[in-house]
Amino acid sequence: MKPNFPEEFFYLSLAEIQAKLRAKEFKVKELTEAWCDRLENRGPKYNALAHSLRKPAMKAAKYHDKDFKRERFRSPLHGIPYGAKDLLSYAGHPTEWGAPPFKGQVFKEHAKVISKLEGVGANCIGKLAMVELAGGGGYRYPNASSTGPGLNPWDVTRWSGGSSSGSGAAVAAGLVPFALGSETWGSILTPAAYCGVTGLRPTYGLVSRSGAMALSWTMDKIGPICRTAEDCGLVLQVIAGGDNDDPGSAGKSFYYTPEYVRPFSEMRIGWNPADLDAVDDPAVRQALREAVQLLLKLGFQVKEVKLPDLPYSTVASTLIGCEMASIFEPLVLDGRVRQLVDKNQAAGIVAATEYKATDYLKAMRLRRVIQEEMGKVFDGVDVLISPSTAGVATPINEPLAGIAGRGRLPLGAAGNVAGLPALSLPCGFVRNLPVGISVVSRAFQENLLLAVGKQFQAQTDWHKRRPPLPA
Amino acid sequence: MRRRDLASIFLTAVPITAQTTATTAPDDLTTARERVRAAGAELAKTAVPMATEPAFQFKAY
Repeated sequence: MKPNFPEEFFYLSLAEIQAKLRAKEFKVKELTEAWCDRLENRGPKYNALAHSLRKPAMKAAKYHDKDFKRERFRSPLHGIPYGAKDLLSYAGHPTEWGAPPFKGQVFKEHAKVISKLEGVGANCIGKLAMVELAGGGGYRYPNASSTGPGLNPWDVTRWSGGSSSGSGAAVAAGLVPFALGSETWGSILTPAAYCGVTGLRPTYGLVSRSGAMALSWTMDKIGPICRTAEDCGLVLQVIAGGDNDDPGSAGKSFYYTPEYVRPFSEMRIGWNPADLDAVDDPAVRQALREAVQLLLKLGFQVKEVKLPDLPYSTVASTLIGCEMASIFEPLVLDGRVRQLVDKNQAAGIVAATEYKATDYLKAMRLRRVIQEEMGKVFDGVDVLISPSTAGVATPINEPLAGIAGRGRLPLGAAGNVAGLPALSLPCGFVRNLPVGISVVSRAFQENLLLAVGKQFQAQTDWHKRRPPLPA
Repeated sequence: MRRRDLASIFLTAVPITAQTTATTAPDDLTTARERVRAAGAELAKTAVPMATEPAFQFKAY
């Protein structure tokens, strides 16, 4: 008899789903079919699905069932379905980067992260929608994608964030147990915050980008978007690791061991109250204040910090602009740039070819200064906290503020320029829309971030809330 | 031919069309070019010691 999966089943953590698989409550094939049905039926309601991978996923599920029958368990992710941002290649199936000029593009090999997940038995069931070319040219509207604007499961008149729009929406709506996203500047933390899920931006170089679309070689990172911090740790443990095919690889592995971090009472949180000035909505400010108070209750000492006065956003936009101009130069030369959905983005890519070499060099030199200054900030604190975004999800027909609507919070630009990891946690709701807070640490301190996240989520239930059923 | 020459040829021949969802669309390319120019000016304001080399072999630390 076909198992019945109730609505709440699709919001379980990875460990809970895995426990049910090991208890043989259902087969991997049945589980995969149920998630595929859900992703295919509901994904289009949020413009979250780029391509279904039902066929290869169902084929893989049969092999996983044989493993489970013999009680051969490969990992905590064995048999668990997931979705991948359409920026990651999946062999023999379309990888279109959300952009009309790349419609029908197919690669011969999986991206390294997809191969790694396949190796431990996780099952990719779909490619998830994204802002075209990850939005590096600076898009004006959320509809800058061949799949349309990413719609927020909490309110479909609102944006799901970008550029990992489908990844954020699909996890929030329970269409996949976890997803892979990527961040160059805000593309994991923003959709995670807007959709009320947990997003981890790993340290630059910790996760291989081999097989991923490049937007900025020195700033691109791939990371998980999940329901909980614990789930992010389980996924990161699999996808992290050195890779000779990625010149930016740090050659480091990651083992999820949050239990070994120092007691929180011995640690300091850095917090700049002025960050709240960037948040216009008083209700959002209040939610963030309460989240800070809760972190203090976990035992942390708090220290007010102010980032040094440096042009973080300009350095970030210059690095991305110059590298993007080189990467997408063929698109400008052959005129395909005109096929992009968002004309502001097309103009941004064309204009970026006019950056001067000295601009790029200056930005790269300032990046070193920023790294050194961030190192000094972390001499006095263990983690920094900041709003993930300057407010709740914006209406889909509203022009995005600033360059590609990126939050103007300095820690977002500084953290990405310095390659530091960050974790966005749901920390409240305002008018039924999620609010997110970010925790940032020194490079390669992901276990510390995840320990903070795990404790925070043990004290709150924001991450357990479910959006309304789609119309 | 320099990149900026190529870009100007392309843009002379094929003007960027207006954003269809916007009620009023400013000149996208002019705005984007201004953003590039402003970024260069902003970077120039911050002095960096001569010994500070660009982070070509970028590694997070």
